Amino acid sequence: MAKIIGVTSCPTGIAHTYMAAEAIEKAAKKAGAKAKVETNGSIGVENKLSKKDIEEADAVIIAADARVEMARFDGKPLIEVSVSHAIKHAKELVDDALAGKFTVYSKK
Amino acid sequence: MKITELMTEDIMCLDLASNTKKEVIRELSTLLVEANKVSNLEKFVAEIEAREELSTTGVGYGVAIPHAKTKFVKTPALAFGKSKEGIDYDSMDGEDAHIFFMIAAPADGANLHLQTLAKLSRKLIDEDFRNSLHEATTKEEVLHILSSIDKEEK
Repeated sequence: MAKIIGVTSCPTGIAHTYMAAEAIEKAAKKAGAKAKVETNGSIGVENKLSKKDIEEADAVIIAADARVEMARFDGKPLIEVSVSHAIKHAKELVDDALAGKFTVYSKK
Repeated sequence: MKITELMTEDIMCLDLASNTKKEVIRELSTLLVEANKVSNLEKFVAEIEAREELSTTGVGYGVAIPHAKTKFVKTPALAFGKSKEGIDYDSMDGEDAHIFFMIAAPADGANLHLQTLAKLSRKLIDEDFRNSLHEATTKEEVLHILSSIDKEEK
């Protein structure tokens, strides 16, 4: 089963962070893929991605309007979008992730 | 913290008078001031508007969630508003907003209310949940729908 991971974050960290996470998780589930989305909200980091999560992941979706720790995703197919884009277009993002349309991220 | 502790009938309005984004922010903020949840109307409105400047909280599907985390909030609270006509809220999908959740969070203190708001935000992605809110006509109905969040495990 394909696995998609993600990180969501927004300026206030109260609402959009969680909406985007839920949207990605729901879309992935619908597409028959596993998903784990880390939320960087005002509560702090929840559902933190482990090394293993990142290793296993086929694609990474970063939906953030605030800074996210990126170096850990070196070498992974990845896309960066705004948090609102992810809420609105979760299905397209997941479809593209599963179709291998993301470019490989390099931390440099 | 339960969502029904954050939202009480005195900060709910099922028939908003506002026609614009500016007006609806003021109308809901006024409810929060009158209910003694917010200490300073002008300053709270300014914080809410500053957040909207960063990016609209009109998240689409006819829902908007204006929010601010500021010292002008005395008690965490969640105001609710409904507009029959709909209000142009610069929403992401270009559609008018009919349902408003205004989140008032204090600058410091416990994070319990944030957990609750996170759950509400997640639930807004659920189409059935949104539809039931669009259809609700009384405060009791709205509170009943929202109480389903309190029962859910996330």
